[in-house]
Amino acid sequence: MKPIKIAILSLTHGHTRKYFQTLNDNPGFEWVAVSAESEKVRDIFYKYGYDVPCYMSDEEMFEKHSDIEAVVMASGNSRHLEQFRMCAERGIHILSMKIPTFDMNEYDEMIKLVEESGIICQVELEMHYNPVVNRMKKLFSENQLGVVSGINATNITLSPVWAFPWQGVPEESYGKRVPLNSNNTRFRGGALCDHPHIFDMIRWLTQSEFDYIFAEVGPNIREELEVEDIILVNGKMKNGVSFLLDPSWSRLEERLVVPGPGWEVFPKRMEVNFNISGEKGVMLADCFGPNVYHNGAPNDRYTVQYTYFDEWIGMMDEFIHCVRENNTPMINLMWHKKTIEAMNACYESIETGQPVFL
Amino acid sequence: MKLMPAILKNTDRVLNACSTWIKQKKDMVNYIKEATNKLARKYEVKDDSEYNLLPGWQFLDKKLNNKDIPLLSWRHNRKFTELKKIVSDEVVENVSMLRFCSLGDPKIWSLNALMYREFDLCEFITGSRIAYLHATLSHGLAGNIIVKLENGTIGSVEIGVQAPAGKPLIERHEIIARRGVASDIVVDTQVPQSSIYAFTENGDMGYKDVDNELFGMDEFQVEWVRAAFQHLKDPTQSENLIKQHNHLSRLVESALKSNFNKLKVKVE
Repeated sequence: MKPIKIAILSLTHGHTRKYFQTLNDNPGFEWVAVSAESEKVRDIFYKYGYDVPCYMSDEEMFEKHSDIEAVVMASGNSRHLEQFRMCAERGIHILSMKIPTFDMNEYDEMIKLVEESGIICQVELEMHYNPVVNRMKKLFSENQLGVVSGINATNITLSPVWAFPWQGVPEESYGKRVPLNSNNTRFRGGALCDHPHIFDMIRWLTQSEFDYIFAEVGPNIREELEVEDIILVNGKMKNGVSFLLDPSWSRLEERLVVPGPGWEVFPKRMEVNFNISGEKGVMLADCFGPNVYHNGAPNDRYTVQYTYFDEWIGMMDEFIHCVRENNTPMINLMWHKKTIEAMNACYESIETGQPVFL
Repeated sequence: MKLMPAILKNTDRVLNACSTWIKQKKDMVNYIKEATNKLARKYEVKDDSEYNLLPGWQFLDKKLNNKDIPLLSWRHNRKFTELKKIVSDEVVENVSMLRFCSLGDPKIWSLNALMYREFDLCEFITGSRIAYLHATLSHGLAGNIIVKLENGTIGSVEIGVQAPAGKPLIERHEIIARRGVASDIVVDTQVPQSSIYAFTENGDMGYKDVDNELFGMDEFQVEWVRAAFQHLKDPTQSENLIKQHNHLSRLVESALKSNFNKLKVKVE
């Protein structure tokens, strides 16, 4: 199969570095270029030592490499629509970050752009290619728990805002400055915007859609943030499954400008866990565990050192397959729309103080 | 019906068990080969399937032929890769002691196999060779060994093959240093954890899936495939693998000698 000539845009998304090894190792790709939004991210990219040219604008990169077939759109949420337009116009396939946009008019325009240009657009929800999630799906398909009644899922992390500042700026993460509610000095665009996975996964596991959803924010544990960092969500799916979701930034961090060792204050910097109750029993899953542990450098704190992160391999294999075989990706814009609507409903619930029916 | 004499009946049972074991082993080798080929095809690596790529301990007491490659497959298990990185990157500094434990199913493991693996892990993680050891082994069922590495680090290796059939290896690898402790067991627990626990009317089950590209394989099969694939990518590593195999075989012999003579043994 002819390798796909691929580029990375912007380099400002927190997941950017996860793609480097896969684009480099997978013979299905020829990694031809990257564009950087700032000298800071360009210099960080250069430190990895990949022999890939870096341009300071998307336009310049596309001009110099008119053969680019696909991009990883590794930019902040507020830049996505503009980049979608640029790619659709050139017939360039898109691997979009996990939040294409929270603005549903923009979202519909993205769907239209993709449909009319005939490009492939896959949304980065990498948990689907996690081996523990894969096992969970298998156990579900074998009906090991019988009829499911309740799901509790966490997607809790440290806050990436010190390294990726756009994630703390309401206009850049949520798309505009909207107060959480009339009694609040904070705005939409924080932890919730960073954690769509559990909203998506519950739809997969229950094979059902959200019926109603309620959300509540707590006092921020990082007082200087103008977006929410502590949030809880509950509600029901249309098939009656009740759920509790925690998409908080509830793990404190050292305020590193470049993520690295010692970033975490709490030992485990990121967890995606599920507790599921069904008529035949219960299941507990930790999608990023077990690991190895130490209390050494740099901070002599007890720390989880992760042992596997291979989600990007399977996800990019699917992208290759979809581009070359002209197939629709498992996580496409249409599928993902209902997840984004549910996340927006959380903000609406925070604003109104009541559950929101979808 | 004429009854078979007891001795013949036993021989028959042993032969049946042997042939089942050989068939299972062959099936397993083919299963591993298939998965390795799949990776080779995906990553466009030349696949020389003539090699006999097995975990090194399977070649103990066997003269290697030129197609036998004793893999150090556990080195490709991410938990050991990370523990080694923790030491070599000086996240924990100045290692003083190792505390390793490995208790297995006798249908899969022997004491010699466990010693081979754990001795290699001592050397792989610390980057130093075992210089001396003192072993106490009981009836081929359990043993406790103290090793001293060339860099001065000491280590305990606790092994046993009395875990019930089908039980995954119960292991612990703890590294104690002047700065920090590292371990593959989370603090305040005794046994390796699973990623998923299911408590259902069918009983309690644990699942640990570590590699989505090789989904469906257990941790030991994954490390075996990864090691075999690494060898396909870089066949020049054969020489070092064989050297280390010979060294580990001598370490196992030294442990047996130490136990027999009740003496600390310097490793030749």
